[in-house]
Amino acid sequence: MLKKDLILRNSLRLIGQKTEDIPPEGGFGAVLARAGVGKTAFLVQLALNSQLSNKNVLHISLKDPTQKVSLWYEEVFRNIVAQYNINKTNHLWEAVLKHRFIMTFKVDGFSVPKLEERLTELTEQNIFSPHMVIIDGLPFDNSVHTSLPGLKILAENHGMHIWFAVHTHRHEEPGTGGIPTQLENVDDLFEVVILLQPKEGEIHLKVLKGRSLSSGYSELLLDPSSMLIKDKG
Amino acid sequence: MNSTILKVRNIGISAHIDAGKTTLTERILYYTKRIHAIHDVKGKDGVGATMDFMELEKERGITIASAATYCKWRNHEINIIDTPGHVDFTIEVERSLRVLDGAILVLCSVGGVQSQTITVDHQMARYNVPCIAFINKCDRIGADPFRVIKQLKNKLGHNAVAMQIPIGLEGNFSGIIDLVAMKAVYFEGDMGEDVRIENIPENLLPEAIQRREELIDTASIFSDELTEAALEDKITEDLLISAARKATLLRKMTPVFIGSAYKNKGIQPLLDAVTKLLPCPSEIENQAFDVDDDESSVILSNDLKKPLVALAFKLEDGQYGQLTFIRVYQGTLAKGSSILNVRTGKKAKVGRVTRIHADQMEDIDIIPAGYIGALFGIECASGDTFVSPGINLTMTSMYVPNPVISLAITPKDNKSEANVSKALNRFTKEDPTFKTSTNQETGETIISGMGELHLEVYVERMRREYNVEVITGMPRVAYRETISRRAEFNYTHKKQTGGAGQFGRVAGFMEPIAEEDFVFESKVVGGAIPTQFIPSCEKSFKKCLEKGPLMEFPVVGIKVVINDGSSHSVDSSDIAFKAAARGAFLEGYAKANPVIHEPIMRVVVETPTEFQGVVMGSLNKRRGMIDSAQDEGRLCVIEARVPLADMFGYSTALRSLTQGKAQFTMEFAAYKQVPQLIAEELAKKATEEKKSVA
Repeated sequence: MLKKDLILRNSLRLIGQKTEDIPPEGGFGAVLARAGVGKTAFLVQLALNSQLSNKNVLHISLKDPTQKVSLWYEEVFRNIVAQYNINKTNHLWEAVLKHRFIMTFKVDGFSVPKLEERLTELTEQNIFSPHMVIIDGLPFDNSVHTSLPGLKILAENHGMHIWFAVHTHRHEEPGTGGIPTQLENVDDLFEVVILLQPKEGEIHLKVLKGRSLSSGYSELLLDPSSMLIKDKG
Repeated sequence: MNSTILKVRNIGISAHIDAGKTTLTERILYYTKRIHAIHDVKGKDGVGATMDFMELEKERGITIASAATYCKWRNHEINIIDTPGHVDFTIEVERSLRVLDGAILVLCSVGGVQSQTITVDHQMARYNVPCIAFINKCDRIGADPFRVIKQLKNKLGHNAVAMQIPIGLEGNFSGIIDLVAMKAVYFEGDMGEDVRIENIPENLLPEAIQRREELIDTASIFSDELTEAALEDKITEDLLISAARKATLLRKMTPVFIGSAYKNKGIQPLLDAVTKLLPCPSEIENQAFDVDDDESSVILSNDLKKPLVALAFKLEDGQYGQLTFIRVYQGTLAKGSSILNVRTGKKAKVGRVTRIHADQMEDIDIIPAGYIGALFGIECASGDTFVSPGINLTMTSMYVPNPVISLAITPKDNKSEANVSKALNRFTKEDPTFKTSTNQETGETIISGMGELHLEVYVERMRREYNVEVITGMPRVAYRETISRRAEFNYTHKKQTGGAGQFGRVAGFMEPIAEEDFVFESKVVGGAIPTQFIPSCEKSFKKCLEKGPLMEFPVVGIKVVINDGSSHSVDSSDIAFKAAARGAFLEGYAKANPVIHEPIMRVVVETPTEFQGVVMGSLNKRRGMIDSAQDEGRLCVIEARVPLADMFGYSTALRSLTQGKAQFTMEFAAYKQVPQLIAEELAKKATEEKKSVA
């Protein structure tokens, strides 16, 4: 009951996460923002939402050690339960924890074949089969053109979808369709692209690509104090 | 002990298991004429190598305890400590490297860099010990010293450089080419004692030239004179050695030598290398801390006239009392002098002072700075600093790793208990990695150590040296009981059958709590239970927690609230309400869906990446929940939560899965409910135990 409550109350349902996943199996999603705006917090919420629905999440970080990633989850979870005034959350946390696996790599040590090898080790031994993968810290420079197609195939083969955190820069102008330059030439691989934009003390979520918002449109925001997604107004 | 300090070498010989350390030391002692016959480590003559003097060592063919000796070579005095290769006896390596100035890292030319090679390399780094490498067993099939040099570079990050190349390998291994002198060296005579120098064979000259160039390139980084000489093509042996020595002392270069100790080849040049490339005591900076000056750092001097500073690094409790192995860093330690133990603040008079050769002792008068010796009759612990009275300097002790495995032991008969105690007291005193404790809950005596072999050796020593047989077993897991839902109770204790009776009724509820083990609250109003009896109720509830009704495990996480009751003006008493509370507890407990909790450990495994899959599988098989995997390039760190009950024997399992290359640590994380199947097994076991006791 507790889990269901949290899922239903979750603002993420407004970007189409009510019954099905976005992006779909084999699909890519990207959340873009400048440093420190809230990409990781956003992705962790997506992850927790999946975990609450008993779906496995593989969180891959190329920039933070496992302890730091783990702290993100603890903090966001704490903020969520505080927001909904939920007490006695130990069992809930334990239930959510078993649906998460954290992997960290050094940037230059990460490659698609390596990830595939690690994934195969996990799935073949029935240790962990992810439904959703988060990749945080992958540099979206020229080299990404070689790794993204491989990751797409990996996602399709394993029946999972992948969310990427993409770092943008203040001085960069967006390209056509408002898609930031980091995703130029590869945006066809992405089913969903969300931009986090700080504006007048708030952080706006702008869906640049993907399913249109459900009827009863309202723009979503990221609460800077709790880093939780909320409805505007 | 009359060599000048410049001609003294204090060295350790360390390596992975069976790389040939003891065999090498045996040859060193033979060529330096310290012994007159060579005996094999596990030879047919049953004598065993000199440095393996314990019976167990001879029987098993392994070194268990480090052993010290000394010898002379080319006017140099070399003090050697031969150490064990098994990780179980790692404390011997730790304490030896702490007090030595240089080391020989022995590697097998077939096995190369192995798990304990990595460990001893870390230990050498910990104490900043310069080392030279000796690639042994070049006569073995599959010998490939250059592959081993590559491994030294890639796996250990050493700037390893060949000082020699082999003449032939495997069955054809017949000698070495010295790249400094550019000469071929052959070892002849029955025991390889005759060294013959010849010109380099034609077919090996190109390779020798190339390897020598590599040596010069590497060494010249550390010597401008060598660089200049190289440019002018005027390199001398002394210049090259001097540059190599400088780099070695800085730990920026690892000169590599080759040979076969068993086939008596390559030892004499290795001894030359010890004298030419490894430091004398005065070349090592030793630090102490001034306790009277906020532990400020003090650099010690080898000056014999300065106050004494010495470190006790090993103890042996023998028939003549405690033998303390000691390294003197400053001043002299003289027989009859008074010394102060900085840790205890106690003074002692130095009685007998000896010098050690394996299991033999030679009485001497003093141990000067830079030397190692042993004292009799001084009470102390490993790692204690001794000084002259009047100063208060202390030195850092050796690093003592935590035990990784435990066993429960029970003497086979009750009469042996005293001897078991004696044995354990002695072993724990001598070996800081061997620990003993009593489990407060189960009453079991638990011994803990660095591995199964470690504990096996001590159990065997108890049998041989103390005539005590013990039964070993898996230590009991500290399970807990708790309740999982709220339940009410309403219990009347009544004994009113004539004479003084007992009466008391206690009503209320119990519910699970997470934050504390036990909370008691009284919400009794209107004197339903007289106030003076409420503390008795609380006491009784608390007593019930000691042995849970389910399986007699301690009960935790329970809140008891009493809110009603009844009393009798005559028959109510503390005893009556204690009994009523006990009955209430049992009643409520049975309705509160009691469950068993088991300790869950946070296990962190560090393994080469190639074994990541098998390690994760091994944890998964043990009901572990893997939380994360951190890729660090060559190594990866896997974190998991695993029930303690399934961690028994994991040390051995992990070693065998990863060729001994992985390590793990384990600490308590939380208590969690056991799965139903496990709960049923525990219940069955408890019933069987009760039957056998009855």
